[in-house]
Amino acid sequence: MESSSRFEPKIIAFCCNWCSYAGADLAGGMRLKYSANIIPIRVMCSARVSPHFIIRAFQEGADGVLVAGCHIGDCHYLKGNYIAIKRVAILRDLIDFLGISKERLRLEWIAGSEGDKYARVADEFTEKVRSLGPSPIKRIPFREKAVAMVR
Amino acid sequence: MNRLARELVHRMEALKNKVNELLESGGIAGFLGLRNFGTEPFPFLFTRDTAAEVDKITTGAVRYPLSKILIRIAAVYPDAIFGIMCRACDERAIIELCKNSKLRSDKVITIGISCTDDLVQACKCENPQPSNLVSGEAGKKEFDRSDVQKIASMTLEQRFDFWTEQLGKCIKCYGCRNICPVCFCDVCTLEDQPLVKRGEIPPELPSFHLTRAYHMAGRCVDCGLCEEACPVDIPLRTLYRRVRESVKELLDYLPGEERDKVPPIQVLGDGLFEIRD
Amino acid sequence: MHYECIPTTCTYCGCGCLVVLQVLDGHLVGVLPGKTNPVNEGSLCIKGWTSHEFVYSEKRLKNPLVKKNGVFVETSWEDALDTVARNLKKIKEESGADSIAALASAKCTNEENYLMQKLMRATIGTNNIDHCARL
Repeated sequence: MESSSRFEPKIIAFCCNWCSYAGADLAGGMRLKYSANIIPIRVMCSARVSPHFIIRAFQEGADGVLVAGCHIGDCHYLKGNYIAIKRVAILRDLIDFLGISKERLRLEWIAGSEGDKYARVADEFTEKVRSLGPSPIKRIPFREKAVAMVR
Repeated sequence: MNRLARELVHRMEALKNKVNELLESGGIAGFLGLRNFGTEPFPFLFTRDTAAEVDKITTGAVRYPLSKILIRIAAVYPDAIFGIMCRACDERAIIELCKNSKLRSDKVITIGISCTDDLVQACKCENPQPSNLVSGEAGKKEFDRSDVQKIASMTLEQRFDFWTEQLGKCIKCYGCRNICPVCFCDVCTLEDQPLVKRGEIPPELPSFHLTRAYHMAGRCVDCGLCEEACPVDIPLRTLYRRVRESVKELLDYLPGEERDKVPPIQVLGDGLFEIRD
Repeated sequence: MHYECIPTTCTYCGCGCLVVLQVLDGHLVGVLPGKTNPVNEGSLCIKGWTSHEFVYSEKRLKNPLVKKNGVFVETSWEDALDTVARNLKKIKEESGADSIAALASAKCTNEENYLMQKLMRATIGTNNIDHCARL
């Protein structure tokens, strides 16, 4: 069947506790249907998302990474989302230069009341990453050999 | 003796006089520069006790990370004022180190040494003009970002394959990190276990170099010592130059450019920095 | 207040890279690669970069150790050398010279390695001499 051979991207979403995770929770509460490819990880603030988390996510095989925080001005810790802007912006340019499309890393502001936005972003981003294909990191030869050895 | 040789001799004499003057006046406790040990230049701290060694002072055509050495000496003698021989890149590094509290600007006197034309051609950094020039003129700017341009103009797949091949040569000698004048952390992420596994050569691609490149954001002063120290010729300087450009484009900050500008990366978000998207 | 850099050769492998020892107030604090040396041309491997660390290590032996009743015990040089000579002689008599082998080291000088092979070939009388670089 078509769906069994279709590439299913794996997307890690770092969601801030106060806004975007609540938004994701609301999407569930509203019984909205959206792509199952998105794996939420709750952090207290989008500023908690160190660039190392994002690098680790890509290295471990994530096809896309979403960083979701509160809207500007609404951060529970006042200025955390400003930090997230800087980090994600620099990292996007950097991974693009290394050959990993910058479209694989996305920053979104999702409020606690925006369950529908969470579902919409999940769907859009999944389709975007699907169109980009599997992360090129999986193509690194020795990684495949290492994985085969472990299996 | 041709013009270049004459210029170098003149510069050497001017430097010798300057150092002697500073030491005798008591203005500095020591001057960190290069001394001829036999025929080769190596770093040395000229003090009043070793004033006789000033005769062997040299500007050298090779660069050692003097600013990094100064951090160590200044840590042991925090109240002493030091003079240091500075090319433009050393000066940029010192500006950044002062901002990160590794050096104190009131305890460092920089003596500028300009790079000769052939060195400027080989290096092609953005601004080869140090302040406090001891003699002569600074080199003309020959900034050339064609190395970044060449890679940026490849397709995404080509870039990935290029970097996989280049970074795959890495033998994890930590030379880039050890010699970098703005790598000053006491505890280094790249030595964190189990983030970077012991014995894994090459290190995990591309996360090892991606991590280092990210850490260079807001710090790299484009001195090129990393590429010089790499035993397998990975184009590291090109990678960090791209990060430098990103930070300039997005946050309007170029490390080492302005003495008083606060580095945007280390400051908590305050809404001052707007991303131009 | 005294800081100087002393160029020397790295103690590890046979390449012989120029390592610049950084000495601050009589204390070895770090190394730098020799920039003008044709062997390493400004680079070092991880062993070269850390070649200063063993100097002040607490794990360095201060006295010879001899195994007595399965436990290493500190002893004098005379006792240690006597023990080695006595036991090597015994092994040579009981099992023959070819039952003894030696591994020379890249950290030793050529002259020391020469002495080692001379000891094996002339004194003990065996060709069983090899070098860690072959491992």
